[in-house]
Amino acid sequence: MHEGAIAQSVVEVLRDIKDQNGLLSITSATLKIGAISGVVVDALLFAFEAIQKEEDFIKDTKLNIIYVNVKARCSICGKTFEFDNTDDLVMICPDCQMPLAIINGKELEIVDVEGQ
Amino acid sequence: MKRIVVEKKILEKNDDIANSIRNLLDKNHIFSLNVMSSPGAGKTTLIERIVEALKPEYKIAAIDGDLDTQRDAQRIAALGIEAVQINTSGTCHLDSSMVQKALNDISLDLDLLIIENVGNLVCPASFYLGTHKNAVLISTPEGDDKVKKYPTMFNVADVVLINKMDIAQFVNFNVEKVENEIKELNPNAIIFKISAIKNEGLSEFINWIKKNIELLKHQ
Repeated sequence: MHEGAIAQSVVEVLRDIKDQNGLLSITSATLKIGAISGVVVDALLFAFEAIQKEEDFIKDTKLNIIYVNVKARCSICGKTFEFDNTDDLVMICPDCQMPLAIINGKELEIVDVEGQ
Repeated sequence: MKRIVVEKKILEKNDDIANSIRNLLDKNHIFSLNVMSSPGAGKTTLIERIVEALKPEYKIAAIDGDLDTQRDAQRIAALGIEAVQINTSGTCHLDSSMVQKALNDISLDLDLLIIENVGNLVCPASFYLGTHKNAVLISTPEGDDKVKKYPTMFNVADVVLINKMDIAQFVNFNVEKVENEIKELNPNAIIFKISAIKNEGLSEFINWIKKNIELLKHQ
């Protein structure tokens, strides 16, 4: 479970934002997590909760998660394909039989933060 | 209350260090390979075979990641190359700062750097180390259902090696199914079927490494 390390990185980014913007605490943060980022959302939230107990400035932070499905584009015909389920991933264009390029689904990002 | 638009990668610090590792490797014309698999798939044995095959022609070093012990680095060092062990003491993957630290102990007069990641098909896939290529190993006794279970890992692979082919028939491993699933998930991945322990099927993979070393040497 590497979500502990990911949660720690989230906290470090939040700490930088707090310091750079003269905030005392972070009330909420929105994260984008891609379906093939390798991160399990529940495990990340669990790990974040554990760190919250030790850090005052994130004690009341609410994490909002935007889960991003895998989306891929064919470089030949330009058609895009979205996959609701990672079990169904097929990275080949059904029309052109060429590899698809991933455009979404690998995200591990902090989108925005609210603080005071 | 203040709202701040951030749009930052969570692993930005890891990626920054990884990019500086990549620059260092490029500057020194060192081709680097990140070898990943579950525990026991044969990473260390594969690396031994690579070293045996390429040591007469090229200067090689290895970084071995494990939770504990010096065993892997000792096995690789026994072949007469420089091998540095990283003990992650509980962490299930290597990150770029660990590799950066290990690189301080290695002479950069090299052609090839092999990084043996911690045995794990999940976590190492999320951490870019700055290496040029990812080699993912899957071994036949693990079962032929693994590719779709670990889409992130097989998606980041440049090369997939199906290891322990010598016992595939005894463990009901459907190699065709696995190859098809890899192609579906990652059509750009190159697949090699090997037995590292018997040194079978490795010549094409070794040639692929050589080609990459030469490409980088002349850049």
